[in-house]
Amino acid sequence: MPMKGRFPIRRTLEYLQKGEVVLKNRVKIVTVNYNTHGQLSDGARKFVFFNVPQIQYKNPWVQIMMFKNMTPSPFLKFYLDDGEQVLVDVEGKDHKQITQHVKTILGKTDEVLQAEALARMEAANPANFGPKKYCLKECICEVEGQVPCPGTTPLPKEMTGKYRAQMAAAQD
Amino acid sequence: MFQVITRSTPVIRLLAPRGAVLVEAVRGRKTRTDPKAKSKEGRIKTPPPVDPVEMVVLRERFTEYDLIMRALRLEFKEEMLRKRYEEEVGSLAEERAKQEAEEHRSLMTWNQEENLRMLKIRELRVQKEVEAAEVKKTEAAILREQAMESFVKEKGEEIMRIQEEAKSFINLENLDQRIEEALDNPKNYNFAIDKDGRVVKRTVLQ
Repeated sequence: MPMKGRFPIRRTLEYLQKGEVVLKNRVKIVTVNYNTHGQLSDGARKFVFFNVPQIQYKNPWVQIMMFKNMTPSPFLKFYLDDGEQVLVDVEGKDHKQITQHVKTILGKTDEVLQAEALARMEAANPANFGPKKYCLKECICEVEGQVPCPGTTPLPKEMTGKYRAQMAAAQD
Repeated sequence: MFQVITRSTPVIRLLAPRGAVLVEAVRGRKTRTDPKAKSKEGRIKTPPPVDPVEMVVLRERFTEYDLIMRALRLEFKEEMLRKRYEEEVGSLAEERAKQEAEEHRSLMTWNQEENLRMLKIRELRVQKEVEAAEVKKTEAAILREQAMESFVKEKGEEIMRIQEEAKSFINLENLDQRIEEALDNPKNYNFAIDKDGRVVKRTVLQ
Protein backbone atom coordinates (compact mmCIF):
# COMPACT_ATOMS: atom_id res chain seq x y z
CA MET A 1 0.00 0.00 0.00
CA PRO A 2 1.75 3.22 -1.09
CA MET A 3 -0.60 5.68 0.70
CA LYS A 4 -0.51 5.59 4.49
CA GLY A 5 -2.36 7.81 6.93
CA ARG A 6 -5.02 10.47 6.59
CA PHE A 7 -3.16 13.02 4.43
CA PRO A 8 -0.44 11.00 2.70
CA ILE A 9 0.67 14.10 0.81
CA ARG A 10 2.49 15.11 4.00
CA ARG A 11 4.89 12.26 3.35
CA THR A 12 5.88 13.33 -0.17
CA LEU A 13 9.28 14.90 -0.80
CA GLU A 14 7.67 17.66 -2.87
CA TYR A 15 5.48 18.75 0.03
CA LEU A 16 8.34 18.65 2.51
CA GLN A 17 10.68 20.61 0.28
CA LYS A 18 8.02 23.32 -0.09
CA GLY A 19 8.42 24.16 3.61
CA GLU A 20 9.18 27.86 4.05
CA VAL A 21 10.59 27.99 7.56
CA VAL A 22 14.35 27.51 7.85
CA LEU A 23 15.16 28.31 11.47
CA LYS A 24 18.21 30.33 12.45
CA ASN A 25 21.30 28.44 13.56
CA ARG A 26 20.80 29.58 17.12
CA VAL A 27 17.54 27.66 17.60
CA LYS A 28 18.22 24.25 19.08
CA ILE A 29 14.93 22.99 20.55
CA VAL A 30 11.31 23.70 19.66
CA THR A 31 8.48 22.70 22.00
CA VAL A 32 4.80 22.73 21.07
CA ASN A 33 2.19 22.52 23.85
CA TYR A 34 -1.33 22.00 22.60
CA ASN A 35 -4.64 20.31 23.46
CA THR A 36 -6.33 17.51 21.60
CA HIS A 37 -9.85 18.98 22.05
CA GLY A 38 -11.18 22.48 22.00
CA GLN A 39 -11.68 25.02 19.26
CA LEU A 40 -8.89 27.35 20.45
CA SER A 41 -6.21 24.67 19.97
CA ASP A 42 -7.39 23.93 16.46
CA GLY A 43 -4.75 26.09 14.77
CA ALA A 44 -1.99 24.54 16.86
CA ARG A 45 -3.24 21.05 16.07
CA LYS A 46 -3.24 21.79 12.33
CA PHE A 47 0.22 23.34 12.66
CA VAL A 48 1.52 20.16 14.29
CA PHE A 49 -0.20 17.99 11.72
CA PHE A 50 0.75 19.87 8.54
CA ASN A 51 3.68 22.19 9.15
CA VAL A 52 5.93 20.54 11.74
CA PRO A 53 7.07 17.82 9.27
CA GLN A 54 8.11 20.55 6.86
CA ILE A 55 10.05 22.38 9.55
CA GLN A 56 11.77 19.20 10.70
CA TYR A 57 12.72 18.36 7.12
CA LYS A 58 14.33 21.74 6.62
CA ASN A 59 16.01 21.69 10.05
CA PRO A 60 17.10 18.13 10.68
CA TRP A 61 19.36 19.10 13.61
CA VAL A 62 16.64 20.87 15.61
CA GLN A 63 14.83 18.83 18.27
CA ILE A 64 11.05 19.32 18.07
CA MET A 65 8.89 18.00 20.90
CA MET A 66 5.12 17.90 21.23
CA PHE A 67 3.25 17.97 24.56
CA LYS A 68 -0.48 17.25 24.66
CA ASN A 69 -3.09 18.38 27.21
CA MET A 70 -0.64 19.80 29.71
CA THR A 71 -1.74 23.46 29.72
CA PRO A 72 -5.11 25.12 29.16
CA SER A 73 -3.87 27.26 26.28
CA PRO A 74 -1.55 26.28 23.41
CA PHE A 75 1.88 27.84 22.86
CA LEU A 76 5.24 27.33 21.19
CA LYS A 77 8.58 27.66 22.92
CA PHE A 78 11.97 28.03 21.24
CA TYR A 79 15.18 27.36 23.14
CA LEU A 80 18.21 29.17 21.69
CA ASP A 81 21.79 28.13 22.24
CA ASP A 82 22.58 31.04 24.58
CA GLY A 83 19.87 29.91 26.99
CA GLU A 84 17.25 32.38 25.79
CA GLN A 85 13.69 31.06 25.59
CA VAL A 86 11.19 32.57 23.16
CA LEU A 87 7.51 32.06 23.96
CA VAL A 88 4.88 32.32 21.22
CA ASP A 89 1.20 32.28 22.19
CA VAL A 90 -0.90 30.60 19.50
CA GLU A 91 -4.33 30.44 21.08
CA GLY A 92 -7.00 30.97 18.49
CA LYS A 93 -4.54 31.50 15.64
CA ASP A 94 -4.68 29.77 12.28
CA HIS A 95 -1.87 27.36 11.31
CA LYS A 96 -0.83 29.58 8.44
CA GLN A 97 -0.59 32.56 10.76
CA ILE A 98 1.53 30.55 13.16
CA THR A 99 3.93 29.53 10.37
CA GLN A 100 4.22 33.13 9.21
CA HIS A 101 4.85 34.33 12.75
CA VAL A 102 7.58 31.75 13.32
CA LYS A 103 9.18 32.61 10.00
CA THR A 104 9.23 36.31 10.90
CA ILE A 105 10.80 36.00 14.32
CA LEU A 106 13.17 33.05 14.02
CA GLY A 107 13.39 32.10 10.37
CA LYS A 108 16.26 32.83 8.00
CA THR A 109 15.38 35.58 5.58
CA ASP A 110 15.29 35.02 1.84
CA GLU A 111 18.48 37.04 1.35
CA VAL A 112 20.37 34.95 3.87
CA LEU A 113 19.15 31.74 2.24
CA GLN A 114 20.17 32.97 -1.19
CA ALA A 115 23.61 34.00 0.06
CA GLU A 116 24.06 30.55 1.61
CA ALA A 117 23.02 28.84 -1.61
CA LEU A 118 25.49 31.01 -3.55
CA ALA A 119 28.30 30.17 -1.15
CA ARG A 120 27.52 26.50 -1.47
CA MET A 121 27.56 26.76 -5.28
CA GLU A 122 30.91 28.56 -5.17
CA ALA A 123 32.42 25.95 -2.90
CA ALA A 124 31.28 23.12 -5.18
CA ASN A 125 33.08 24.47 -8.26
CA PRO A 126 33.07 21.73 -10.93
CA ALA A 127 36.32 23.14 -12.32
CA ASN A 128 38.19 21.95 -9.22
CA PHE A 129 39.74 18.51 -9.41
CA GLY A 130 40.78 16.70 -6.27
CA PRO A 131 39.81 14.09 -3.68
CA LYS A 132 36.23 12.89 -3.83
CA LYS A 133 35.62 14.36 -0.39
CA TYR A 134 36.12 17.96 -1.58
CA CYS A 135 35.64 17.96 -5.37
CA LEU A 136 33.33 16.33 -7.87
CA LYS A 137 35.97 14.69 -10.05
CA GLU A 138 39.55 13.63 -9.39
CA CYS A 139 40.92 13.83 -12.92
CA ILE A 140 39.83 15.24 -16.29
CA CYS A 141 39.85 11.70 -17.64
CA GLU A 142 36.70 11.00 -15.59
CA VAL A 143 34.70 13.62 -17.52
CA GLU A 144 32.62 12.35 -20.43
CA GLY A 145 33.96 13.37 -23.80
CA GLN A 146 37.55 13.79 -22.64
CA VAL A 147 40.58 11.62 -23.35
CA PRO A 148 40.18 8.40 -21.31
CA CYS A 149 42.63 7.50 -18.56
CA PRO A 150 45.88 6.10 -19.97
CA GLY A 151 45.83 3.72 -17.00
CA THR A 152 42.86 1.87 -18.52
CA THR A 153 43.38 2.34 -22.28
CA PRO A 154 46.78 3.17 -23.82
CA LEU A 155 46.97 6.59 -25.48
CA PRO A 156 47.38 6.76 -29.27
CA LYS A 157 51.08 6.89 -30.16
CA GLU A 158 50.96 10.48 -31.42
CA MET A 159 49.89 11.70 -27.96
CA THR A 160 52.68 10.07 -25.95
CA GLY A 161 55.60 12.21 -24.86
CA LYS A 162 58.08 9.52 -25.94
CA TYR A 163 56.91 9.60 -29.58
CA ARG A 164 56.79 13.38 -29.68
CA ALA A 165 60.32 13.60 -28.31
CA GLN A 166 61.49 11.13 -30.95
CA MET A 167 59.82 13.16 -33.70
CA ALA A 168 61.32 16.38 -32.41
CA ALA A 169 64.76 14.76 -32.22
CA ALA A 170 64.37 13.29 -35.73
CA GLN A 171 63.44 16.69 -37.17
CA ASP A 172 66.49 18.32 -35.63
CA MET B 1 40.68 22.38 0.46
CA PHE B 2 43.89 22.09 -1.50
CA GLN B 3 45.69 19.93 1.01
CA VAL B 4 46.30 17.04 -1.38
CA ILE B 5 49.07 14.98 0.18
CA THR B 6 50.89 12.67 -2.24
CA ARG B 7 53.09 10.00 -0.76
CA SER B 8 56.09 10.12 -3.06
CA THR B 9 59.66 9.15 -2.16
CA PRO B 10 61.48 12.15 -0.73
CA VAL B 11 63.77 13.90 -3.20
CA ILE B 12 66.78 13.62 -0.84
CA ARG B 13 66.95 9.88 -1.36
CA LEU B 14 67.53 10.39 -5.10
CA LEU B 15 70.18 13.04 -4.66
CA ALA B 16 72.65 11.91 -2.09
CA PRO B 17 73.73 8.29 -2.15
CA ARG B 18 76.15 8.26 0.75
CA GLY B 19 77.34 4.73 0.12
CA ALA B 20 77.60 3.05 -3.27
CA VAL B 21 75.55 0.15 -2.01
CA LEU B 22 71.87 0.73 -1.48
CA VAL B 23 70.46 -2.47 -0.15
CA GLU B 24 66.77 -2.29 -0.81
CA ALA B 25 65.47 -5.86 -0.91
CA VAL B 26 61.88 -6.29 -2.14
CA ARG B 27 60.16 -9.58 -1.11
CA GLY B 28 58.61 -10.46 -4.50
CA ARG B 29 57.97 -14.14 -5.38
CA LYS B 30 60.17 -15.95 -2.83
CA THR B 31 59.64 -16.26 0.95
CA ARG B 32 62.18 -15.40 3.64
CA THR B 33 63.55 -18.93 3.81
CA ASP B 34 64.11 -19.52 0.06
CA PRO B 35 67.81 -19.58 -0.95
CA LYS B 36 69.24 -17.14 -3.45
CA ALA B 37 69.33 -18.28 -7.09
CA LYS B 38 72.60 -19.98 -8.14
CA SER B 39 73.27 -17.40 -10.82
CA LYS B 40 72.79 -14.56 -8.37
CA GLU B 41 74.78 -15.91 -5.43
CA GLY B 42 77.79 -13.60 -5.69
CA ARG B 43 76.00 -10.62 -7.10
CA ILE B 44 76.42 -7.24 -5.48
CA LYS B 45 73.90 -4.76 -6.67
CA THR B 46 75.40 -1.34 -7.28
CA PRO B 47 73.39 1.71 -8.15
CA PRO B 48 74.23 3.70 -11.27
CA PRO B 49 77.23 6.03 -10.75
CA VAL B 50 76.54 9.64 -9.89
CA ASP B 51 78.13 12.55 -11.69
CA PRO B 52 79.24 15.00 -8.94
CA VAL B 53 78.95 18.13 -11.08
CA GLU B 54 75.49 17.18 -12.23
CA MET B 55 74.65 16.31 -8.65
CA VAL B 56 75.61 19.71 -7.34
CA VAL B 57 73.67 21.51 -10.04
CA LEU B 58 70.64 19.33 -9.52
CA ARG B 59 70.76 19.78 -5.78
CA GLU B 60 70.86 23.56 -6.15
CA ARG B 61 67.96 23.53 -8.54
CA PHE B 62 65.92 21.22 -6.38
CA THR B 63 66.46 23.29 -3.26
CA GLU B 64 65.30 26.36 -5.16
CA TYR B 65 62.29 24.51 -6.53
CA ASP B 66 61.42 23.16 -3.09
CA LEU B 67 61.69 26.61 -1.59
CA ILE B 68 59.37 28.13 -4.14
CA MET B 69 56.77 25.35 -3.86
CA ARG B 70 56.80 25.47 -0.07
CA ALA B 71 56.46 29.25 -0.15
CA LEU B 72 53.50 29.05 -2.54
CA ARG B 73 51.75 26.41 -0.47
CA LEU B 74 52.17 28.40 2.69
CA GLU B 75 50.96 31.55 0.94
CA PHE B 76 47.78 29.88 -0.17
CA LYS B 77 47.22 28.34 3.24
CA GLU B 78 47.76 31.70 4.91
CA GLU B 79 45.34 33.37 2.52
CA MET B 80 42.66 30.81 3.30
CA LEU B 81 43.20 31.10 7.04
CA ARG B 82 43.09 34.87 6.86
CA LYS B 83 39.84 34.72 4.90
CA ARG B 84 38.31 32.40 7.45
CA TYR B 85 39.54 34.57 10.29
CA GLU B 86 38.09 37.66 8.64
CA GLU B 87 34.78 35.87 8.21
CA GLU B 88 34.57 34.90 11.83
CA VAL B 89 36.40 37.59 13.80
CA GLY B 90 36.86 40.48 11.37
CA SER B 91 35.48 44.00 11.66
CA LEU B 92 32.73 43.23 9.16
CA ALA B 93 31.81 40.15 11.15
CA GLU B 94 31.47 42.20 14.30
CA GLU B 95 29.19 44.68 12.58
CA ARG B 96 27.15 41.84 11.18
CA ALA B 97 26.89 40.25 14.60
CA LYS B 98 25.80 43.56 16.11
CA GLN B 99 23.20 44.05 13.41
CA GLU B 100 21.91 40.54 13.91
CA ALA B 101 21.66 41.06 17.63
CA GLU B 102 19.71 44.27 17.06
CA GLU B 103 17.35 42.61 14.65
CA HIS B 104 16.88 39.74 17.03
CA ARG B 105 16.05 42.12 19.86
CA SER B 106 13.53 44.00 17.77
CA LEU B 107 11.90 40.76 16.66
CA MET B 108 11.72 39.59 20.26
CA THR B 109 10.01 42.82 21.31
CA TRP B 110 7.55 42.45 18.47
CA ASN B 111 6.86 38.89 19.57
CA GLN B 112 6.37 40.10 23.14
CA GLU B 113 3.85 42.66 21.93
CA GLU B 114 1.99 39.96 20.05
CA ASN B 115 1.91 37.87 23.19
CA LEU B 116 0.52 40.78 25.19
CA ARG B 117 -2.15 41.37 22.58
CA MET B 118 -3.14 37.70 22.69
CA LEU B 119 -3.16 37.94 26.48
CA LYS B 120 -5.59 40.85 26.39
CA ILE B 121 -7.87 39.07 23.97
CA ARG B 122 -7.74 35.98 26.10
CA GLU B 123 -8.56 37.91 29.26
CA LEU B 124 -11.56 39.51 27.59
CA ARG B 125 -12.73 36.14 26.40
CA VAL B 126 -12.30 34.54 29.79
CA GLN B 127 -14.17 37.44 31.40
CA LYS B 128 -17.01 37.07 28.93
CA GLU B 129 -17.16 33.37 29.59
CA VAL B 130 -17.31 33.92 33.33
CA GLU B 131 -20.09 36.47 32.94
CA ALA B 132 -22.03 34.18 30.65
CA ALA B 133 -21.67 31.39 33.18
CA GLU B 134 -22.95 33.68 35.94
CA VAL B 135 -25.92 34.75 33.87
CA LYS B 136 -26.72 31.14 33.09
CA LYS B 137 -26.51 30.24 36.75
CA THR B 138 -28.87 33.02 37.80
CA GLU B 139 -31.28 32.13 35.03
CA ALA B 140 -31.25 28.52 36.09
CA ALA B 141 -31.91 29.54 39.67
CA ILE B 142 -34.83 31.71 38.57
CA LEU B 143 -36.28 28.91 36.47
CA ARG B 144 -35.94 26.51 39.34
CA GLU B 145 -37.73 28.93 41.64
CA GLN B 146 -40.48 29.46 39.12
CA ALA B 147 -40.93 25.74 38.70
CA MET B 148 -41.10 25.35 42.46
CA GLU B 149 -43.67 28.13 42.71
CA SER B 150 -45.89 26.70 40.02
CA PHE B 151 -45.67 23.29 41.61
CA VAL B 152 -46.64 24.68 44.98
CA LYS B 153 -49.55 26.63 43.41
CA GLU B 154 -50.83 23.57 41.62
CA LYS B 155 -50.75 21.51 44.73
CA GLY B 156 -52.54 24.26 46.59
CA GLU B 157 -55.29 24.42 43.98
CA GLU B 158 -55.73 20.71 44.14
CA ILE B 159 -56.11 20.90 47.88
CA MET B 160 -58.78 23.60 47.50
CA ARG B 161 -60.60 21.50 44.96
CA ILE B 162 -60.60 18.51 47.18
CA GLN B 163 -61.74 20.62 50.11
CA GLU B 164 -64.63 21.86 48.01
CA GLU B 165 -65.52 18.36 47.06
CA ALA B 166 -65.24 17.24 50.66
CA LYS B 167 -68.21 19.46 51.44
CA SER B 168 -70.45 17.26 49.35
CA PHE B 169 -69.16 13.98 50.75
CA ILE B 170 -71.41 11.63 52.56
CA ASN B 171 -70.77 11.72 56.36
CA LEU B 172 -72.39 9.96 59.19
CA GLU B 173 -74.68 12.97 59.75
CA ASN B 174 -76.20 13.21 56.31
CA LEU B 175 -76.09 9.50 55.66
CA ASP B 176 -79.78 9.00 56.26
CA GLN B 177 -80.65 12.14 54.33
CA ARG B 178 -78.64 11.13 51.32
CA ILE B 179 -80.09 7.63 51.32
CA GLU B 180 -83.58 9.14 51.30
CA GLU B 181 -82.56 11.47 48.47
CA ALA B 182 -81.07 8.66 46.42
CA LEU B 183 -84.15 6.49 46.86
CA ASP B 184 -86.41 9.40 45.92
CA ASN B 185 -84.53 10.28 42.71
CA PRO B 186 -83.79 7.20 40.70
CA LYS B 187 -81.24 7.90 37.97
CA ASN B 188 -81.53 6.25 34.61
CA TYR B 189 -78.16 5.40 33.03
CA ASN B 190 -79.66 3.65 30.00
CA PHE B 191 -79.39 6.03 27.11
CA ALA B 192 -78.04 5.99 23.59
CA ILE B 193 -75.99 8.72 21.94
CA ASP B 194 -75.30 9.46 18.33
CA LYS B 195 -72.00 10.42 16.81
CA ASP B 196 -72.29 14.05 17.88
CA GLY B 197 -72.72 13.16 21.55
CA ARG B 198 -76.37 14.13 21.83
CA VAL B 199 -78.64 11.82 23.70
CA VAL B 200 -80.93 10.06 21.24
CA LYS B 201 -82.93 7.55 23.14
CA ARG B 202 -83.74 6.88 26.72
CA THR B 203 -85.29 3.74 28.03
CA VAL B 204 -88.14 4.11 30.43
CA LEU B 205 -87.20 3.30 34.05
CA GLN B 206 -89.17 0.46 35.63
